[in-house]
Amino acid sequence: MPATRILTAVPICDGHDSAINTINLEFIRHGVEVVYLGYNRSARDIVRAALQEDAVAIGISTYNGGHVEFFEEVLDRLNQLRLTPMIKIFGGGGGTITAEEAKIMYARGVDRIFFAGTPLAEMLGYLRAQYRDVVQQPYERLFIGTDQYLARELTLGERGAPGSPEQIPAATKPDCKTKVIGLTGPGGAGKTTLIDELVYRFLRSRPQNQRVAILAHDPSMIGSGALLGDRATMIYSQDDRVFMRSLATRGQTGGLSPSTHRCLDILRKSELFDVILVETVGTGQEAIPFGSGALGGVDKAVLVVPPDYGSQLQLQKIAMIDSADAIVVNKSDLPGCKTAVAEIEYRIRANQKGQALLRTQANRHRDTGVDQLFESFLGRE
Amino acid sequence: MTSLGQIIAAIENYRHSGLGQVQKARTDRDLGERMLQTWREAKDKIGFTVTPTGLRLPRLALPDLDEPGEIARFLWDEGLPGEFPFLTSAYAEQYLDPGSAEPTENEKQQSGVKIGSEEPTRLFAGLGLAEDTNARFHYLSRNQRSKRLSTAFDGPTLYGVGAGADGVFGKIGEGGVAIDTIEDMERLYAGFALDQPDVSVSMTISGPAPILLAMYVAAAKHRFGSDVAAKLRGTIQADVLKEVQAQNELIFPIEPSLRFLADMVDYCSQQMPKWYPISISGYHIAEAGATPVQQAAYTLSNGFAYVDYFRNRGMDANVFGPRLSFFLDCGLDIEYIALLRICRKIWAIGMRDVYGADKRAQTLKLHTQTSGRSLIAADWPNNLTRTALELMLAYMNATNSCHSNSADEPFTTPSEEYARYAAHAQAILLEESGLFKHMMNTLQGSPGMKVVGNAVEEAILEEFREIEQQGGVLGAVERRYQRSQIQAAGYLLERQICNGVRPVVGLNRYNDPDGNWPEVHMIRTAKEKKQLQRDRLQDFEKRHAGEKLQSLDRLSTVVEQGGNVFEELIYTVEHCSLGQITERFCEVVGKFRPMV
Ligand code: B12
Repeated sequence: MPATRILTAVPICDGHDSAINTINLEFIRHGVEVVYLGYNRSARDIVRAALQEDAVAIGISTYNGGHVEFFEEVLDRLNQLRLTPMIKIFGGGGGTITAEEAKIMYARGVDRIFFAGTPLAEMLGYLRAQYRDVVQQPYERLFIGTDQYLARELTLGERGAPGSPEQIPAATKPDCKTKVIGLTGPGGAGKTTLIDELVYRFLRSRPQNQRVAILAHDPSMIGSGALLGDRATMIYSQDDRVFMRSLATRGQTGGLSPSTHRCLDILRKSELFDVILVETVGTGQEAIPFGSGALGGVDKAVLVVPPDYGSQLQLQKIAMIDSADAIVVNKSDLPGCKTAVAEIEYRIRANQKGQALLRTQANRHRDTGVDQLFESFLGRE
Repeated sequence: MTSLGQIIAAIENYRHSGLGQVQKARTDRDLGERMLQTWREAKDKIGFTVTPTGLRLPRLALPDLDEPGEIARFLWDEGLPGEFPFLTSAYAEQYLDPGSAEPTENEKQQSGVKIGSEEPTRLFAGLGLAEDTNARFHYLSRNQRSKRLSTAFDGPTLYGVGAGADGVFGKIGEGGVAIDTIEDMERLYAGFALDQPDVSVSMTISGPAPILLAMYVAAAKHRFGSDVAAKLRGTIQADVLKEVQAQNELIFPIEPSLRFLADMVDYCSQQMPKWYPISISGYHIAEAGATPVQQAAYTLSNGFAYVDYFRNRGMDANVFGPRLSFFLDCGLDIEYIALLRICRKIWAIGMRDVYGADKRAQTLKLHTQTSGRSLIAADWPNNLTRTALELMLAYMNATNSCHSNSADEPFTTPSEEYARYAAHAQAILLEESGLFKHMMNTLQGSPGMKVVGNAVEEAILEEFREIEQQGGVLGAVERRYQRSQIQAAGYLLERQICNGVRPVVGLNRYNDPDGNWPEVHMIRTAKEKKQLQRDRLQDFEKRHAGEKLQSLDRLSTVVEQGGNVFEELIYTVEHCSLGQITERFCEVVGKFRPMV
């Protein structure tokens, strides 16, 4: 049975995340896939994320008051997108939500509010009873071309024939306008930040009608839950022009999930996007999640490494260095950057493949290294 | 090695040389003689007090010691109140009732007893619009000798967004007061003589702290003249690091946030000598689920990280050091019998032995709040008892000021009724009971307190070592070390409540299934008020539309050219609202990338 997939978040202007962190941990320990959007999130961001992730339910943990209005706004937005009653809403806020308020919220379509003192087992039990067996069928054709249609296609794609070797689609055909870029590298390299910064530049420099998709991966074991948290650290990607989808690796090594290529294919065929960015989980030395070009279903493969990677893990052994189209040394403000760059330079020169080498400091506002990376791969064509 | 490594070494060294000192006092006649002399002098200085029941007591209780080694041990391990390493207290006398004290010879000459002038009670309050909170301040301080106002802001203000922003309407004035402009700030403290020594104001805000303090200073100038800054007394939280670790209200990236903070600290150290421009906070860390030791370790190491940062900017630890203050949580776990005093000790050793700072910079000045998270909804009147116990622990550890939570904490901004009980709990402890008002040290230094203290100290050092391993505080922050530890502890805490390992009366034992508890009076801000706040903001922005751009551009220039941003903000806030300024800052320095 596929893992139940929910989305959790804390409302705008609220940073009380202790309760939701605990609930997330409890849920994933019991096999639930939780896409976590973080704290201080607007109703608009929450609904967009739930739609794109095709969550069966949204769990909201609220403490700073205004919960009646906030839940109402979430419901209104779901209604507008014709997502009620498919996407359910539940939540809690300790003692800040009164029983009378909960009644009002139920009347408007909220499933359940958990009051202070509810045992964790009770919430888990509720989730299992109410949301585990929800059947997610394809949307009617009427919805073709919408994000929600696409989101559901991805869900079904992800479930399709688990375990069977998946066919790797060819890279983008010359006539297809979608460009696919894969980003890989060890954990802690700053891939998510880099992607968000690329998106920032995309949104500012590309015409309003152009959109970008992100396919992000988080590690999980077969049959167990997963915390899909990349979305929570994104700033600029919370935008209607961005479609983001989080995938759990479900025990597959190498950085991708068993269904990545299927999902990528669906995204590409949707023809909604000008660019698709694929982010792998933190990879080990031997991983080659995508070879370059046609090999791995991406047009360009980028390897992102932190500066200390070179010295500590012996650069020679990193397989991706030979197949990546570009190598980015991120966090270039950290010590060891010069050495890392020198070593990589030496190595790629020997490769003679014209691989690019860039330095970035993605966590710096308007970093010129990121500008360069953007220009070389996503600049105006 | 980062400076935290040096601090670990300094503390280990302090313990070690303490043992040496004890030995030496026993074997070295000279030192032994000096110890006995010091002890005699300390005892001779102690004044007396007479209780209402006629008992005459010394104002300071010291153990009966007549052996140099033990005297050395006491001075080294405990110290006299107000003396290094400050275990007993930051100051020589705290909480003592001036009424019952007999003046000492010294005090007779200097015209009377000078103690107990300011009560330590400081109640956190914020609700609705500025005028509502103002009324609450007048209510809370109506019977106080000194007016110690403590301000809670609402969500939009904490996140630096205007009341007019998308999707925040419901949050206006909830859980704190809505402040958008300098005009709101004037309303907030109306009727209080901010330039007088008996008024002090504290503000719980960190992300946009420099903007809010600039509004406060500018508003005070309107009312009390342009040279008022030097007279303003109070504290602003402004602790950036614990936002990243626990409270989640950072707005700008860490680097510019620290820079804005340092500008403010620098300015205050020079121009506002009575202001505490940062309150290094463990409260939020503990409330997010951390263990008491994690709270202490992360807070102290954050404090040392600030010292490093300010010193790297060329600021003098003896100048800014005395302006640093701390804010810790006090819950029911046994650690709290000694945790706060151990924090004072570690801070003092670090400041003296690693940074060479003087006595004023060595003393950790502490505000404590009883634990909000220990208060629960089920059978909630029990919360009165929990808070009373926590208060007791905080005062046994000689906190310099204290907030006691209201029993209705799990539900709402305190109602007047329960805020009154919370304040009265402190008065009962300090004024009604004889425990604290007659004598210093009545409850300090018991064997149990010492044993727990030593264990806590060692555990804090262990955490320091881990942080040091991760490249110091900022390195550990980057790796999410503190966050992940706090989250794991928070999860464990909830599981322990669920499985009964942590007894919670009324919840997992002695629970009353059909509990019929008193009704809670929920504090809510009416829609009309929320709308009024929006209208006021819009009106302000309209009136100042002409000066807005020019003021913001000036501000950008100062940011870009490395000038003192805080000083400039005192001008900017005359024409721009909180939301406008935040937005401009984000354009120039970017936004904080959330850590989850
Ligand atoms: C911990 C806490 C904090 C910590 C938060 C740390 C963190 N990172 O989370 C700190 C100290 C930082 C904090 C700060 C503030 N706080 Co606070 N805080 C609390 C406190 C003490 C406990 C909340 C908590 O986490 N409980 C633990 C959880 C696990 O248990 P629970 O709340 O009972 O929830 C249960 C269920 O409801 C359910 N549940 C909860 N959420 C969800 C979601 C889903 C999907 C599900 C299924 C279930 C579920 O699970 C729990 C288990 O049964 C409450 C008071 C209290 N005692 O409840 C105040 C409280 C929530 N805070 C309050 C306020 C006002 C603030 C501030 C705005 C104060 C200020 N002006 O500065 C700030 C804002 C902080 C911010 N960034 O937004 C108010 C809110 C008042 C209101 N709404 O009118 C409260 C009620 C205190 C009070 N009486 O004033 N706070």
